[in-house]
Amino acid sequence: MANDRMIVDPGKNPAPMTSTDPTLTLLPRLKAKALTEAQPANVESFYHLRDGIASGVCCGTACFAARHANPQRWQQALLQADSVHCLGQCYNAPAAVGDAERPRIETHCRQPIVLERIARGSVRTLANYLQTGGYQALASARQNPPEAVMEAVEFSGLRGRGGATFPTGKKWRLAARQPAGEKFIVANADEGDPGAYIDRFLMEDDPHCLLEGMALAAYAVGASQGLIYVRAEYPQAQRILADAVAEARGAGWFGGGGGETFSFDIRIVSGHGSYVCGEETALINSIEGNRPVVMARPPYAVESGLFGKPTVINNVETFANIPWIIRHGGEAYRVLGFSQSRGTKVVSLNSLFRRPGLYEVEFGVPVRELVETVGGGLKEGELLGVIMGGPLAGIIPPHLLDTRFGFEELRAIHASVGHGGVIAFDKRTTIPDLVRYTFGFGADESCGKCVPCRLGSRRIEEIFEGVGQSGFGPVAAKQEWEEISATLHQTSLCGHGVGLGDFAESVRAHYGKEIGLCFE
Amino acid sequence: MLRVTINGRAHELPGGGTILQACQALTIDIPHLCHDPRIRPVGACRLCVVRVQGELRPVTACSTPLRTGMVIETHTAEIEQSRRVNLRLLASRQPAGTTDALAGKSFQQYLRAYGLESTGSPQPEAVDSSHPYIQFDRARCIYCYRCARICEELQGQFVWRVWNRGDRTRILPDSQTTLRESSCVSCGACVDSCPSGALDDKSVLALGTPDHWTRTTCPYCGVGCEMLVGTRAGRLVQIKPALDSHVNKGHLCVKGRYAFEFVYAKDRVTEPMIRENGAWKTASWEEAISFAAAGLRRAVETHGADSVGVLGSARATNEENYLAQKFARLVLGTHNVDCCARVCHGPTAVAMKRMLGTGAATNSFDDIEQARTILVCGSNATENHPIVGARIKQARLRGANLLVIDPRRIELAHYANIHLQLRPGTNIPLFNALACAIVEEELYDEATVRERIAEWDEFQKFISAWAPEKVAGTCGVEAGTIRAAARLYATARPAMCLHGLGMTEHSQGTEGVMALVNLALLTGNFGKPGSGINPLRGQNNVQGSAHMGCEPNNLTGFVSPGQGRELFEQVWKAPLPRNPGLNLMQMLDAAAAGTFKALWAIGYDVALSHPNSHATRKALGALEFVIVQDIFRNEMTQFASVFLPVTSSFEKEGTFMSSERRVQRVRKAIEPIGNSRPDWVVIRDVARAMGRGEAFDFQSPEEIWEEVRAVWKAGAGISYRRIEPHGLQWPCPAEDHPGTTMLHSRSFPTGAKAALARIEFEAAAESPSPEFPFILITGRTLYQFNAGTMTLRTGNAQLRPNDLLDVSEADAQELRLQDGQKVRVCSRYGHAELPVRINPAMSRGELFASFATVESFLNQVTSPHRDRVTLTPEYKVTAVCLETIEQAREGVREGVKPVP
Repeated sequence: MANDRMIVDPGKNPAPMTSTDPTLTLLPRLKAKALTEAQPANVESFYHLRDGIASGVCCGTACFAARHANPQRWQQALLQADSVHCLGQCYNAPAAVGDAERPRIETHCRQPIVLERIARGSVRTLANYLQTGGYQALASARQNPPEAVMEAVEFSGLRGRGGATFPTGKKWRLAARQPAGEKFIVANADEGDPGAYIDRFLMEDDPHCLLEGMALAAYAVGASQGLIYVRAEYPQAQRILADAVAEARGAGWFGGGGGETFSFDIRIVSGHGSYVCGEETALINSIEGNRPVVMARPPYAVESGLFGKPTVINNVETFANIPWIIRHGGEAYRVLGFSQSRGTKVVSLNSLFRRPGLYEVEFGVPVRELVETVGGGLKEGELLGVIMGGPLAGIIPPHLLDTRFGFEELRAIHASVGHGGVIAFDKRTTIPDLVRYTFGFGADESCGKCVPCRLGSRRIEEIFEGVGQSGFGPVAAKQEWEEISATLHQTSLCGHGVGLGDFAESVRAHYGKEIGLCFE
Repeated sequence: MLRVTINGRAHELPGGGTILQACQALTIDIPHLCHDPRIRPVGACRLCVVRVQGELRPVTACSTPLRTGMVIETHTAEIEQSRRVNLRLLASRQPAGTTDALAGKSFQQYLRAYGLESTGSPQPEAVDSSHPYIQFDRARCIYCYRCARICEELQGQFVWRVWNRGDRTRILPDSQTTLRESSCVSCGACVDSCPSGALDDKSVLALGTPDHWTRTTCPYCGVGCEMLVGTRAGRLVQIKPALDSHVNKGHLCVKGRYAFEFVYAKDRVTEPMIRENGAWKTASWEEAISFAAAGLRRAVETHGADSVGVLGSARATNEENYLAQKFARLVLGTHNVDCCARVCHGPTAVAMKRMLGTGAATNSFDDIEQARTILVCGSNATENHPIVGARIKQARLRGANLLVIDPRRIELAHYANIHLQLRPGTNIPLFNALACAIVEEELYDEATVRERIAEWDEFQKFISAWAPEKVAGTCGVEAGTIRAAARLYATARPAMCLHGLGMTEHSQGTEGVMALVNLALLTGNFGKPGSGINPLRGQNNVQGSAHMGCEPNNLTGFVSPGQGRELFEQVWKAPLPRNPGLNLMQMLDAAAAGTFKALWAIGYDVALSHPNSHATRKALGALEFVIVQDIFRNEMTQFASVFLPVTSSFEKEGTFMSSERRVQRVRKAIEPIGNSRPDWVVIRDVARAMGRGEAFDFQSPEEIWEEVRAVWKAGAGISYRRIEPHGLQWPCPAEDHPGTTMLHSRSFPTGAKAALARIEFEAAAESPSPEFPFILITGRTLYQFNAGTMTLRTGNAQLRPNDLLDVSEADAQELRLQDGQKVRVCSRYGHAELPVRINPAMSRGELFASFATVESFLNQVTSPHRDRVTLTPEYKVTAVCLETIEQAREGVREGVKPVP
């Protein structure tokens, strides 16, 4: 099997990662040259953590912004052979594999939904989860037709928390409408956005909540197989989830016993080190054992996803909202938040804040409140901007901090809720530095399929590397930067290139002066 | 119809396509680099982006379905600017400079159109010239991935592998070294698709780009691929697949695409030759024709018409084969005419004619994609019919079931759900056992049995004795596997069977095919899309040469002289001979016996390709007069009195008939080489010289074809005009008939019902013995076609220079044989020497080799046994022993008699 290596704890997951329909697994298997090659070497070569992650220093964006805090460590990060873009320890940057520090976890909203349990401590075992009302949503949902779950989720106004903001109920409805047959529920736990460490702690501290959310999704759309694709950088989350799955399965929470109609199972699939695998079409390719390049849509995953079957792919936090919605109803959820952004959102603040950590906030609060009240402002130095929603989104300059925290509201100022990562940076990080760094990251993690992302992101990195150096043609370079970034934004195949374009637009909109100086 | 607005104009367009397809239909030119209609769109190059109202960002035209109400802008300033920027990014990494060959590539054309130039630095070290036909210049790769995608989606070979990611992405063959060392099968699909010049045909790089294209039909196997022949200043420089062909769908194999250089081989015979006192001398056509005519006349006058025979050629056109048999019957006055169907699918034609009423494929290649189950028996399709092989692989990759019956673990066996790896020569018990399991487990189709099957009770009784458990030992296949195969074939319908010479070249070849036909009849797998019995014919026009009447017992259209006499005598205005004719095997026997004296062999190297060549050569040596008509001096030439040099199919007009009963045009792409002439001209002129010019008054192949239509009822509707460009499948009895893709859906030509065959098994004459412990199977390979006449004179000779003896790993280990070590293969009939190739596809005790080269001359070893019905030689089963060359010299091998 092409994917054996990627499956965590094969002992507890007896079946290898295949569809139950044998013909569906044929293509990847036959692609591997008539069953002789396991994971073909060229597929492996795509990834940078082929052998897992045992050591290394992070060079993610939050660590970049905090590089002055430990210059030696940062040097080490730059020199290591395989760069690691974000270990999910942005609260303690620059970070390294093995750092044991935990973040502050608090709720700052009227009605905590996702962090309520965790804020009081981790809830890893089934027994603890059941004590807090765990699996009640699933149990009660199964007393009613799947439509009830669907309606509650639709009514809640929940939108995807992974950055794409697609209405969750609508996605599920599309999958449910597909002809009955094999369907998949996939949790996208490839939390690659530098600055975000939300899903990591949801998985490590409250794994059953994710599983319950997935099971509810399976019940709603008629799926029988679930997968959690966890990035290689989160080995602990993989282990905890595998244990939780075994516990829940053993306790019969996934059905399937005694002629029950509902039967669901979950397997954990590990990434091998690739940011772009968080993009859902790349993620599908990765699970299937193909090169994880992104694919043009349509078809969408809800119609033809994993192994060509209808597939619901949601982010971890999205699933973590579901049990609460089912228990309290869509109405109760909908009243939270504002505008087109309902409910709450977990944000993760980086180490430059006085109070770095994981916070659940309600949509609608001004960004300033996140930065100054929740985060307590910067530890030192003067705020130059806040990267909100990951590096492939945008920067909020200090003068726009009064913007309200909401999907459309942030879009309007060239920023984004994104995944929920919040990276503040100060004047030790200049704008050209940040642009060079971000486009270098973009180029390193580009899958290489489409032209603007493969070549354009690297070219912009080169332009900003050349800024100020002799022989650099400033006027032409400025024009080139503008042209390429616009083309990236307009013509990239997936959100990676488009996001880089968004970032460039944001920089041009808010830091035109700094950029202008580069080319004089 | 969809209503859409494109660039401000309203259109009504059919649905089901993409924006790009719609724009192409409207001749709106949208630039694109990664799109190829043969493969799935991926939207990688981003040049085809267009604005669609309501979409946040531009969408790729290649991958976005056209929907009603779309308002599309294809060339806004912003879109054009993004195209320029993306092209400039690509150009920045392309070596600067251009060549004629590069200038024709779409990438360079777009650069020019957008006012750009390549600005990268040259990388001569990035050029891989290892392959005889294909150059790979890695530096010119623009990463559209078309090579990797087409290799995967059309050929199914997975040679091109994409490595790394981002701007470090590299495309390399699976060898990670050179293309030559990779698993490439040289189909050229990647080259054909490459838009940048990273991959190109060496012929084009050496000889220039074509200035003229001629559409024609491939001269190699019987699949009938349509191709475009590119010439420059009248010289063949490149062949490409016809994108719109129903048969090959824009694909070719190494033979069709690349093996054309034989046309210009230095040893091509371009002047007629006459043998005088044992020595060849060049002659004029007039001299040679009258010499040939005189020789034939003398033989007829001295020994009688039935002492003379004609061999049509599976390489020649239908028109030429028609003339060859007409010449035999009308000019010589004998039915002694045959063709190489005798040594290949003759048994299939007879078996299917007997049982179903038509001796040809029941279905079409387009049924492959409709079948739920595909049964491949006795055919190594991926090597010998590569386009069909590739289509089978793709069908399998899309989820069809695949059953393979073959003694070797051939490539398709790796893809199969079930591989029945039977012992050579045990087809009858295996097919009877499959039928038995179907009957016993009641898997047959009841309605079919009721309405279309005769002699059901007798068959039931007969077949009950053939339980899989009983034959398992004989066949070397477990009973459970036989039963599983029977279940799959019978239940996952429609099931389509494709078979090859592994079914026919046996002493019970005809009966073996009958036993196979039983399976289709029992399960109702006939007369429906995706079903049937479909022989894969070996030579491009073997179907046609037999069908045109180059068989002693069949006139044009597969009718017997008895049935056809009236019509033929009326059209020919001459009587048909009364004596039954001899087939090729009988001609050779009669020659050895001294009663057959003269032979006209058109494009057929009997001496090299017939089995038991000591006997064959003895027979040929006994002939008094032999005309060899060919493009090269082959092994027949040593027996010849006159050599008539003819043209290849690139140099003439006419038609071929493919395995799927499709009559297709052959078109002249180049002038005849030297003084060579088309076969039809030569036959006509010899007929004239023998005083029968009035019956051979043809000025063109089309005129001959018009006479074919007059005598062949099922082909009466096929005209040259109608077969532009895709051909027509017979039966096509009238000008308004659409042709027939599928036979027997309602009835058989013989009536409503067909009888099942009750075939008893007679073990092959040759079986392993202490003296001859191995069974030798002969067959073809990907790179060498049959006698190698054409392919050995092309770059294919570099890809596979000689015949190899495939030996199982176990046998090689036991005999301490090394790859490449030359060994002697000995049978009761002779010996041959050739290098060993240790091949895991082989079973212990079995050997496989091709007989393409004179150097190994493997037919010195093969046996004299023949099919009981058609006399087709048993090429597939000869008992042999192996000796190393040292052992052979010293005669040390125990129990091996010295070979004569």
